[in-house]
Parts: sequence; C-alpha cells; structure tokens
Amino acid sequence: MFHSKRSWLLLILFAMAAFALLAFVACEEEEEEAEIGTVDVLGIWGDEELVSFNAMVDPWELDTGGSMAFTGTRDITTVLTTRVEGGNPPDVAIPAEVGRFQQFAGEGRLTPLSACEGLEKTVRDNYPEGFIDLGTVDGTLYGFFMKADTKGTIWYNPGFFADNGYEPLTAASTWDDLIALSDEILADGTPPWSVGVESGEASGWPGTDWIQQILLNEAGGAVYDGVIDGSIPFTDSQVKDAWEKFGEIALTEGYTVQGGAEGINATNFVDSTYPPFESPPEAALVYLGGFASGFITDQFSDAVAGEDFDFFPFPGGGVTGGANIVYAFNDDATTCSFLNYLASAEGQRVWVDRGGFTSVNSQVSLDSYPDPISRAQAEQLTSAEVFRFDLDDAIGGALQLAFFDGVTQYLANPDDLDDLLTNIEAARE
Amino acid sequence: MVGRRWWTPWLWLAPALALLGVFLVYPVVDTLRRSFLDERSKNFVGFDNYQFIIDNPQPLVSDTHSALLNNVMWLTLFTAITVALGLTLAVLTGRVRYEAVAKSAIFIPMAVSFVAASVIWRFMYEFNTDIGTVNATVTSLGGESTAWLQNTGAPQTWLTERGPDTLPQPIQINNFALIMVGVWMWTGFAMVVLSAGLKGISTEVLEAARVDGANEWQIFRRIIVPILSPTIVVVATTLVIQGLKKFDLVWVMTGGRFKTDVVATLFYKEAFRIGDFGVGAALAVVLLLWVLPVMVISIRRFQFQEETR
Repeated sequence: MFHSKRSWLLLILFAMAAFALLAFVACEEEEEEAEIGTVDVLGIWGDEELVSFNAMVDPWELDTGGSMAFTGTRDITTVLTTRVEGGNPPDVAIPAEVGRFQQFAGEGRLTPLSACEGLEKTVRDNYPEGFIDLGTVDGTLYGFFMKADTKGTIWYNPGFFADNGYEPLTAASTWDDLIALSDEILADGTPPWSVGVESGEASGWPGTDWIQQILLNEAGGAVYDGVIDGSIPFTDSQVKDAWEKFGEIALTEGYTVQGGAEGINATNFVDSTYPPFESPPEAALVYLGGFASGFITDQFSDAVAGEDFDFFPFPGGGVTGGANIVYAFNDDATTCSFLNYLASAEGQRVWVDRGGFTSVNSQVSLDSYPDPISRAQAEQLTSAEVFRFDLDDAIGGALQLAFFDGVTQYLANPDDLDDLLTNIEAARE
Repeated sequence: MVGRRWWTPWLWLAPALALLGVFLVYPVVDTLRRSFLDERSKNFVGFDNYQFIIDNPQPLVSDTHSALLNNVMWLTLFTAITVALGLTLAVLTGRVRYEAVAKSAIFIPMAVSFVAASVIWRFMYEFNTDIGTVNATVTSLGGESTAWLQNTGAPQTWLTERGPDTLPQPIQINNFALIMVGVWMWTGFAMVVLSAGLKGISTEVLEAARVDGANEWQIFRRIIVPILSPTIVVVATTLVIQGLKKFDLVWVMTGGRFKTDVVATLFYKEAFRIGDFGVGAALAVVLLLWVLPVMVISIRRFQFQEETR
C-alpha cells in the first residue's frame, strides 16, 4: 500500500515537472519568434487552388522567415462562426461571402486595414472603387478583395458555332437576341442550354447567378443595389421579371439538355458545363462564372482555350462577379506583413501566372495572364460598363440561403412565384 | 471491514462525474439557457425562439414544420421497415445452409462509415443514368429517370397521373429515398440481434406447436414474435433514437435541401450557418424533449429486466 502511494506521488511530481518544462519551452519559442511568426489563415481553397495559393505565399515565407498555417473548408461560414463565437478566431479569413464580414465588422471584431502600415494606401490606390466600398463598414475599411471571378460569361463551343453558322453575341446584344439564338439552335435540333443547379447544401446558387445577371442588365445598377440594401424587396415587379426570364431559359420545353426542372435541380453545376463540349455537342450554351473554364479543362484535358471552348459576354453590358474577401482579426506584425503581401501586385502575379486567378489590383497588367480566355475575363471585370458584386454573396446570411432555396423551389413549382418571393423577402434581417 | 470514509465512493466517482459534467450537463444547461436568448445570446427573449418553431415564419431557409414532419417519418418508417426486414431476414437466414455468408453480406453496410455510405448512395441515386445505378435500372425497365434526392413529390404520383400538390405530402420521394439508405445500413444490426434472440427459443416449444398442428406462419406469428418481443423492443428503441438524431446521412446527401431537413440538421444550420443560436438551441431542446421519453422507457425496461432476473 505504502509503496503504491509513493509511486503515485512520484508520477504526479513527474507529470508536473514535465508540464512546467513544456510551458517553459513554449514560452521561449514564442519570444524567439516575436518578429514574424506563423499566420493562421482560414480559407476555402483545396486541390489545385491550394497548390497555387501556397506557391503565391512561398516568396513571403522566404523573405520574412514566417510561415502560414492554412485551413481550407467549403463550410467556412460554419467554421468561422464557431471559432469567433468560441473566442478563437483565425488571424486572417478569406471567404467568398461578405454578409458575415459586415456582421463581424459591425460588432467590432475586425481590425481596420489602417492598423497595418501602408495597407490601406495600397488598397485605396490600386483597387476599384466598387470593391473598396464593399470592404468598408461604417466608414472604415476592413477588408480587400483578391481572386475575382466574372459571372458575365456564357460558354460555347466555337467549332460547333462555326459549323452551324451561329454568331456569338456581344455585350451590345439584348435579351431578345439571346432568345432568338436559342430558338435558332433549338430549331436545328440541339437543346440550346445546359443548366444545373445542384450543389449540396448550397443547391440553387447557379440560378441566383442567372437572376442577378438578368436583373443587372434589365433593371440596372440602382435596382440591383436596392435589392442588396433592402430598399427594393424581392417582391418588386422588376425582380420578378428577372426570375421569369430565368424561367424562360430553364423551363421552356426543349430548351435544356437536362429536360426541364427535375433534371436541372438534379444536375451538379460542375457536370452542367460538359454537354456543349462533348462530341457531338449535346447542348450549345452554358452560363456559369469564369471559373467554369477550369471545370471544362479538367474534364476535357486536350481542350484548347479559344478554340475548343470560349465565352461571349452576357448580353446587356453589365457584369456581375464574385471575389474572395480578405480580412483580419488582429494587427500582429505577422498578420500585417502577410496582408500587405496578399494585397500587393507582386504576390498576386504569382497566382495569375499559374492560371485560374483574376486580380482586381490595377497594378497587375493584362499582359500577365497566361492565355486569351483568362485575359478576356480580367478585361471584362476591369473594364465593364457596370460592375456589381455577386448579389447573394453581398447579402449573405439567411436571406442568401432563402434565395438559393427559392431557385430550386421555383424550378419545381413555377406557378407559386409570388408566394416564393414573399417568403424570400421574409428572410431579410 | 475497516471503517470507510463517507467520501471514498465520491472520490472514485469524481473523474466520471467531472467528464459527465463538462461534456453532458454543461452543454445541456447552456443550450437551455441560449434557447431563451436572442440570436447572439445577449438579450432575453422569452419563448420567442419556440414561437418561431411553431409559426414557421421562414419556410425557405428553415422549414421547421417540414423538419419536424420529416423526423416523424424517420421515426416511424425507418424503425418499422428496419425491424420488419431485420426480423424477416433473421428467420429466413436461420433456415438456409449458407447462413453465415448471407448474414455477413447483410451486416456489412453496418461496418461502412455513415459518410462513406452516404457518398456511395449519392452516386446510386444520381440522375444521370450513366452514373446512377437506380435510375439506370428504372429506365432499362421502361420507366423515367427520377431525381431521387431532389424530387419533393409524393410517391403516389407514380400511380396516378399527378398527385394533389396542395395536400400535405408527408412521404416525399426524396425523404423516402434517404430513409431507405438508413434502412440499408441498419437492417444488418436488427437482423443480428433478433437472430440471436431467435436462437434462444428452445426447439421443444416449436416442436410442440408443430405437433399441435400449427403451420409455419402461425408459429411465426403466435410463438416466435411474442417470445422475441423484449428483443424487438430493444432493437426498436435503438432505431427510434437513431431515427431521431439522424444527421450525417441527410447532411451529406442533400444538405437538408429540397425539404429533407430533419431537426438535427436544422439546428446545426440555424446555429452555425445562419448564426442564430437562439432558434438553433430551441430546436436542440425540442429534439432533447423528444428523445427523453424514449430514453426513460428503455431505462425503465432495463431496470425491470434486472429486477426479474
């Protein structure tokens, strides 16, 4: 008995000593790295995109001796909310949605860009005004945008168009031209469109892209902004008109290779980009953001940009697009150094070179883009007559989810549009 | 016996109690507290969050009514089908020579992780017949491809031209498709447990019944089922709790979209996706209250069995 008691005591003493030692070592380590340490980043990237992001960060790590601990998750809103609520936010977050960003900024949880030396100036000097406004909450600039994607792109198969004598539309074309082209293709025996909105928990978002793009072109930027700030409800007749125009494409008999609502709801948005580029083409057109070029080249590895696939602008001249917003929860030397690098043209050029990255930093010239399609996308983004940030990402939160669900329900049940729009508006906070 | 101090048992219990306190009692109490606070857990709002569940003011984002209804469907359909199938298979596999092989085959899904199984079944239910096995079978038999995970219609539309859309449709095609995946996973469990119970029935009883002229159906109905009933209750209780807390399968396969939300997915979505901790916590409390009677019944039953032993 005595013996075992003593061994317990020894064990406890030993454990305490070990802890003390560990704490001591940890402290020491922290002191050593007070200059530039590890930056904890929460983002959405994985696969190819993560490889490119790491390549972009490499020069910063070499220059400063710092390092990046990156966590990538598609479920970023959930992870971010939990970590902020639990008092353990990352140093830097890079999501695609700005709704939660505005909430965090409003609650005073974010660090203004002015807290980092030179950062606010870099952003104000080189970034388009629209993006600066989006990163501003109550007059303070809290975030900047990198890796933008245009959503004004209708993808088609140039070979198929040439063989059949179809003309790609231009920014000056109208909605009626688009319908006329669709009817012409349909009359020749090919379904004009491929549409797919399935995306797991976020199913429906490709439909919201359609609706926002139509809304911007048909009703104009003022109405678009009104829907975001709440002065124009979803029940407005101009908004309803945009929904019905989307329905014209998705629900007209014979228009989609998916064969109508059920197929559209069940087809994954990635898979929906394939039909126009099969041989023979199963559909003629697919509308999805600039990132679709990545899906197409993944599936058809020998497809050449500009020859086998290309895009024309969504008729009407306006362009919507999404972008990843970068914001920070503290102003450590490490965090600031990292943000300054991400915002800089040198940093972004690394990823631009690798492909799949469109910069909104005006210091990144169009010549930096590796192929004609990515250059054309960058040009569309930076020189658009009217540019607006993705509607549902600008709204965020419950209303965004209601918008997504509204699309899938509208497709399944187009007759209830009025009730549906009322229900979407009910989700506005 | 040397005099024991009063606190000795508590000392031994302390680690277990501490763990229970931190990981069970504290979360329950905190969830209860938050269910009466607003979305950021700052101000007291009384029963507003529970009112939200009853009123269902946001049928697109968080359809509380459909989630509750779907949970009832899981509870009843999932439990009934799994028990019935498990019992049938237990009786049938007990009578064939390749019993071990048959049982293993049926039990294997139980060994697959829920997320993996859900991903597999996403492919099985795929709309594109080049990928989806179920739709490939349906179309090869002359039917039409169905969006198994997206179609919110009622199965009766297969029979009639078109079902009444305005009437409530508790059994949606997609919800039923999800439940069948649950059944696929749990039938093996039900079969194995029931089969063990079946082996415990003495052959004399069955022989006596046969001598008395009972046919096989009568033996099953009047002898086997009554003797097995305690085991059936145990299996059913386990399945009811499974059905109530179902989350992973629904989340992976549909994300709760297309009206397939259950209470567990909805409170996750409310709390962490939308950021309304009040409604999220209230939904969690509803689920807790729902599970509670089942727990009480099964614990009572367990105590009763211990006493009669």
